[in-house]
Amino acid sequence: MKPLLVRLAGLAASVIVVLWGAATLAFLAFRVIPGDPVSVMLGPQAQVSDAVKDGIRAELGLDRPALEQYLSYLGQLAQGNLGESYQLRMPVTEVIGRQLGSTLQLTALALVLAVVLALVLALFVRGRVGRGIVAGAELVVLSSPVFWIGLLLLSVFAFGLGWFPVSGTRNPATIVLPAVTLALPVAALLGQVLRDGIEAAERQPFATTVRARGAGQVRLTAHHTLRHGAAGALTLTAYLVGSLLGGAVLVETVFARPGLGRVTLAAITDRDLPVITGIILFSAMVFVVVNVVVELLHPVLDPRQRRASRIAVGELRR
Amino acid sequence: MPTSLARRILPVTAFVAASALLLSACAGTADEGAADGGGGEVVWAIEGANLAAGHMDPQTSQLDVSGMVQRVVLDSLVFQESDGSFSPWLAKDWQVSDDSTTYTFELRDDVTFHDGEPFDAEAVKANFDRIVDPETASAQAASMLGADFYEGTTAIDEYTVEVKFTQPYSPFLQAASTANLGFYSPKVLEESGEQLKAGGPGVNVGTGPFELTEYTPDQELVYNRNPDYAWGPDGAEAASFETLRVEILPEASVRAGVVESGEADLASNIPPNLAVDLPDTLTVDSVEYPGLPYSLYLNEKYGVFADEKVRQAFARGIDVDAAVEEIYFGQFPRAWSILGATTPDYDASLEDSWPFDQDAASTLLDEAGWTERDSDGIRMKDGERLSVRWIAWTPQPDDKAALGNAIQSDLAEIGFEVKREVLEPGAYNEQYNPKTFDLTDWGFSGVDGDLLRSHLHTDGFQNASQVSDPEIDALLEEGIATSDADARADVYKQLQQWNAEYTAIVPLYSPSLITAYNDTVSGLEYDLYGRPLFYEVTVG
Repeated sequence: MKPLLVRLAGLAASVIVVLWGAATLAFLAFRVIPGDPVSVMLGPQAQVSDAVKDGIRAELGLDRPALEQYLSYLGQLAQGNLGESYQLRMPVTEVIGRQLGSTLQLTALALVLAVVLALVLALFVRGRVGRGIVAGAELVVLSSPVFWIGLLLLSVFAFGLGWFPVSGTRNPATIVLPAVTLALPVAALLGQVLRDGIEAAERQPFATTVRARGAGQVRLTAHHTLRHGAAGALTLTAYLVGSLLGGAVLVETVFARPGLGRVTLAAITDRDLPVITGIILFSAMVFVVVNVVVELLHPVLDPRQRRASRIAVGELRR
Repeated sequence: MPTSLARRILPVTAFVAASALLLSACAGTADEGAADGGGGEVVWAIEGANLAAGHMDPQTSQLDVSGMVQRVVLDSLVFQESDGSFSPWLAKDWQVSDDSTTYTFELRDDVTFHDGEPFDAEAVKANFDRIVDPETASAQAASMLGADFYEGTTAIDEYTVEVKFTQPYSPFLQAASTANLGFYSPKVLEESGEQLKAGGPGVNVGTGPFELTEYTPDQELVYNRNPDYAWGPDGAEAASFETLRVEILPEASVRAGVVESGEADLASNIPPNLAVDLPDTLTVDSVEYPGLPYSLYLNEKYGVFADEKVRQAFARGIDVDAAVEEIYFGQFPRAWSILGATTPDYDASLEDSWPFDQDAASTLLDEAGWTERDSDGIRMKDGERLSVRWIAWTPQPDDKAALGNAIQSDLAEIGFEVKREVLEPGAYNEQYNPKTFDLTDWGFSGVDGDLLRSHLHTDGFQNASQVSDPEIDALLEEGIATSDADARADVYKQLQQWNAEYTAIVPLYSPSLITAYNDTVSGLEYDLYGRPLFYEVTVG
């Protein structure tokens, strides 16, 4: 029991350190970039007098010394108060909250599609020619900009065939094309790693033993080599969650979906520090959680790690 | 015997495929439902990427898009007709005092806001007072309301209101006709004024023909018909269709795609390169923005542009016709004056008055003393290179970058170097505010010639050229103080002719707001800015 508690405490401490670091970096970046934040916030060609600008500066506390600003900023965060958006005059939690749902839907569906696609290809496509074709296709998808894939899918399936609507909230089918766009590159990367792992495992002596016992190709893959391939792919999935959130910015713009990506972009161009901080903290949180889950999943997938886990937590061994 | 993983995965795959099919099936039925839905629906695709960043309120926002969409919610005191004249709207009648300092409006007595509040003199006062309140930090409406010249609004009786200025302010009627000076329900101003920038149903509440009923930031705005509407401009009454659905599609090719495929009835903000490729089945309307064309502002207080001959040589050395024709596919006209051709008081006599002429430009530079050349072929004078620094604001669209390149290469041919720096907003302001640059660029839309005051008056807030000339200041002040239309026209013509010679501003082209629509809609009209008006639109 005790080691578990120690481990949990360590985990909590590392989460706090990560969040503090992220918040500090956000604050520093905001101060280091050149220019008067108030002028940028007001946008180009704003016809606002200096008195009004000073009023805004005082209201946001930007006229106080940097250290004082930093401390009150940390103090607020420590109380769980993310503050109010400069641009929207709305609590940050609400700004993020109202857009979070659609990003979660999009990324979750994309992740599921990507994993399914990668697994299907790894399991059912075999033989030199088949794998060669798939590897070629993966390379093409990986090298194409997400933006372009999206426009291509749109012009074929939305404008050309008319199977899917482009945007709007009325129709749940609007999520299909963006999710596929986001899923394709992820599936390609996952597929590559998965197939590499499987092929490497197939060359090992135990594969010959399994075959000698009379197991078919599917059984060999499903019960034995897939696990080897999956270990690497799992680590990658954690990383991909991050890139999915990032990729959402482009996909959300092409497909005109609301979401965190669009909020982030707007917050950065408009110098909306509270919103930027909120999003950075949220992403840091997502990364920490995903990494913990992946760490916990590894021993399930790889029995060798169940013994090893007492010695070194989460270190991948092959 | 355990089933193989493949077999276990198979049902999952099948389920995913089936759900996808089901979803696409739903798609079909939903579309059919919309097509024959009672009352009709107009789907309008716009660029709109900025709306969700606190620009839902035209009273505070300086962006065109804000007034473009919220026009259906916000009515104004007067309506500006396409010929520039004014007709009654929420004001039945109005008087302007002889010295143009006092405007008295007689209001309609039958107007109500969407939340049931009556529209009266107090409502006008509440809105104008909010706009000028420093706490509102209005980025355009406050200056349209005269800024420092605004003295106050008084309710004379229930339906008579008086707006006073500390000095003659003749652009006010035009300002009063825009959505920026439109009216929100006083109840909203009191209870949820803070939320207006973020916007939403129950917040952006006006008297217009449509009511904002749904808002999904970065995706869509849904406006429903106001059945009680009976006070539109030129006798317009309640709309003939039920729903106006505004889709926010930041990607231009997607906007063109949805109007082409019929998913949207109309699409605005279509760039010229896509407009030329639209099929003939669509009607494409291109309305030139009035105001100051997209121009270059030559800073005469910083470097080589102090010399008028150098400024003139700069303007004559650019092949504006070729560059604009090439980059904008012949969709945007090149500009000859600091007021666009669709602006009232435009001086057409300036057309072709300063054509591209490399020889003339070279002669001017020779006369100015820039006769030597360095090893790169750039002109020199007293050991100094003839080089200017252009600061440009990011994000920088491809067309502006292409135009910049064309200008650079044209001028390099006559030994004039142009360095172009594309700067992130903060970095731009660091150079812009102390005016440590040679030139910068923008266009400024507006219907009244008074917009030149902010660009050319010694105290103008966007006087990037740093012009400071008592005669010009006097002309600009005369323009704002004169209510006689002919006298004003004369003032603005003098200013345009002055710039054609003096070359503080080099106008390049007048952009247009391009809107394409299907034959599903008819009766579409535009305001002077080219923004669609839906008062007379019918569907089907």
